[in-house]
Amino acid sequence: MDHIVGTCDLFCPTDEAKLRIREKLLHFYELKNGVKNQPGILVKEFTRSAADVKTPKAKDLRTEASITRTVEYLLKDILMDTRKPYHVAYDFIFDRLRAVRREIVIQMYDSANTICILEPIISFLAYSRYRLSEEPIDKFDPKICDQHLQECLNGVLYCYDDLDETKKKESFTLRQLERRCFIESLYQIFHLGSIEPLARGLTLPEHVRQDAGFRLCFDISLAYQQGNLYRVLMGFPRLPHIIGALAATKLQFIRRRLLQIFTHAYHNKQLSVPVTYLLRLLLFESPDRLIKHCTHYNLSVTSDRKAVHFIKTDFNISADTLQAGKEPFVETKLAKIYLPEIVLLKALKN
Amino acid sequence: MFGSVNNYLSGVLRAAEDDDGDNLATFLSLRDIHVQNHNLYIAQPEKLVERMLKRTSMDEAVSAHLKVLYNLAQEPPNYMDAYTQQAACCSAVVKLLQQLRDENWCLPLMYRVCLDLRYLAQACEKHCRGFTPGHILEKAADCMMACFRVCAADGRASEEDTKRQGMMNLVNQLFKIYFRINKLHLCKPLIRAIENCSLKDTFPLPEQITYKYFVGRRAMFDSNYRQAVDDLAYAFSHCPERFTSNKRLILIYLVPVKMLLGYLPRKSLLQRYDLLLFHDLALALKAGNVNKFDEIVREQELVLIRSGIYLLVEKLKFIVYRNLFKKVFVIRQTHQLDMDDFLTALRFVGVTDISLDETHCIVANLIYEGKIKGYMSHVHNKLVVSKQNPFPPLIST
Repeated sequence: MDHIVGTCDLFCPTDEAKLRIREKLLHFYELKNGVKNQPGILVKEFTRSAADVKTPKAKDLRTEASITRTVEYLLKDILMDTRKPYHVAYDFIFDRLRAVRREIVIQMYDSANTICILEPIISFLAYSRYRLSEEPIDKFDPKICDQHLQECLNGVLYCYDDLDETKKKESFTLRQLERRCFIESLYQIFHLGSIEPLARGLTLPEHVRQDAGFRLCFDISLAYQQGNLYRVLMGFPRLPHIIGALAATKLQFIRRRLLQIFTHAYHNKQLSVPVTYLLRLLLFESPDRLIKHCTHYNLSVTSDRKAVHFIKTDFNISADTLQAGKEPFVETKLAKIYLPEIVLLKALKN
Repeated sequence: MFGSVNNYLSGVLRAAEDDDGDNLATFLSLRDIHVQNHNLYIAQPEKLVERMLKRTSMDEAVSAHLKVLYNLAQEPPNYMDAYTQQAACCSAVVKLLQQLRDENWCLPLMYRVCLDLRYLAQACEKHCRGFTPGHILEKAADCMMACFRVCAADGRASEEDTKRQGMMNLVNQLFKIYFRINKLHLCKPLIRAIENCSLKDTFPLPEQITYKYFVGRRAMFDSNYRQAVDDLAYAFSHCPERFTSNKRLILIYLVPVKMLLGYLPRKSLLQRYDLLLFHDLALALKAGNVNKFDEIVREQELVLIRSGIYLLVEKLKFIVYRNLFKKVFVIRQTHQLDMDDFLTALRFVGVTDISLDETHCIVANLIYEGKIKGYMSHVHNKLVVSKQNPFPPLIST
């Protein structure tokens, strides 16, 4: 089957631009200096395929170069735009990247090209998943974010396998190999402790399996599977920027689980467990957050706030897991990087 | 020694008129001697076949079969086209099944065609390029599902005549594909169909054994170990002695799952099936030698990964810890155990990268899982174990 190749050299095809300017359907980021009804840089928006919509023509689809520039524009200029809260930028970028994803499917990109586009989208979604984890549900839906992250990961892993079949390792550039290790590592952490990703990890090509970053992520996931939460928690601060951020979104659940285990292990009415020990294990920087956790799950803290009583029957199993939030060990790492460089996977080592 | 096409076709005709499923299966088999008959390699056999077999509704299947033979006889063999024709043969069989209401004599034919379809799909995966791995096998599974649906829906015929008798054979074939392409979630609806089937216990024993083998492996991946032991043990004990390699395959999964539940394998058994690797693991496990255990896993990594039990064996790690800690308890002969003793024991067996914090967490986990009865005191750095049965047998936890 012949596939269409886009010819549009802009971020947004002319027809769509005309229509949206006429109908005043511009997003904040598409306005010139944020002035109402003053068109600035438009980016093609996501539309669903539907029965009554004609197949897009070549001029409605962007060229390869244009798609790459679109992704870079979104993940650099818009990502760093501080005029509005991040969740607004996220919504905009999310929608426009979704249009990009749809377009690479319509144009039937081959594996190598698909990988180039999907990799930055994955790291953007992973980063946003952390950055917005404190937002209320009406501003950010973590489920939908996870779902799209999963879809993109499925797509990219499929392409990696495809290239493994057809190309020799030597024909990849070092940067490509490095980016792959990064995404494979991210996949392990995203599915912490799940059998299928672990099984995949065991059969990956040697160069991925031997990669230090990948090994760390694989070992953390394996430790989680075995139930060694200590190794998981101690591994988290060693993870690089965005992967660490993604790991942090799982932290509340792990803390809850360890506290629950401790109610059995340190179960005694007279005894208590020192706060310092718990801070260290649970990656808390200050007693306040630990105590907030303890009270949330109905564990009592001594009056001097130096120790916690663990009693089996106290633990409130029906309490919801606390919402994920910013973690200092991630924040310090993120403060040191230039975000677009990392999200676009231009430089990974830090 | 081989006859003409006409001889072959009249053979098919006779078998079809006699409702002889077994003979028909032989005529459509790719493993039968007739595949070597050069007279049957015909690129376009439709007209000829139609003339001979029109009234038996076998014509489509036979034409497709002859085209498979033709494609396989090319030099080099054209596996892709052969597969496509075999898939056509399979759809023809589906049609045939639908036509033959309240009759199931053609089931052997369906088994044979599906089996050959799988073999051909495997050959394509091996010899052909230009598609993602597993794709052809998945397509083959779709064809078999079409057969399965016809069989499973045949609820009105009597028990002797129902095509539902063919369900388990097909399910087993589908299992083989799904396990190969690592799509275990697709097994679930099949298992449900079999478990709800009134004929469940009347399927032939060989099919039951294969079925239990795969269901047991699936339960194992779902961490449902007790169920896995039941199914795999059934498969192992019913599988006749002469199928040594099959029994060995079952043991590869049965042994580690049983170890997880606290049963250690006998050396003689492992020796008989050339599985002494598990003997070494069992020794390390019994001794609580964490380091030795890790070492064996590292050395045998490839073997374990290839047989798909690497992650399961890694799960045994906490049992190794339990056994080591039990030894500390036996030596100390007291109910208040110093946590430092556990750390010392871990270091003694050669674990270097371990801290007191981690030791606490490991013991905490063992208590939580019920593998140690007792509680810890962080202030005194002690584990206080129960006076009765502080290390309960693993089977009860």
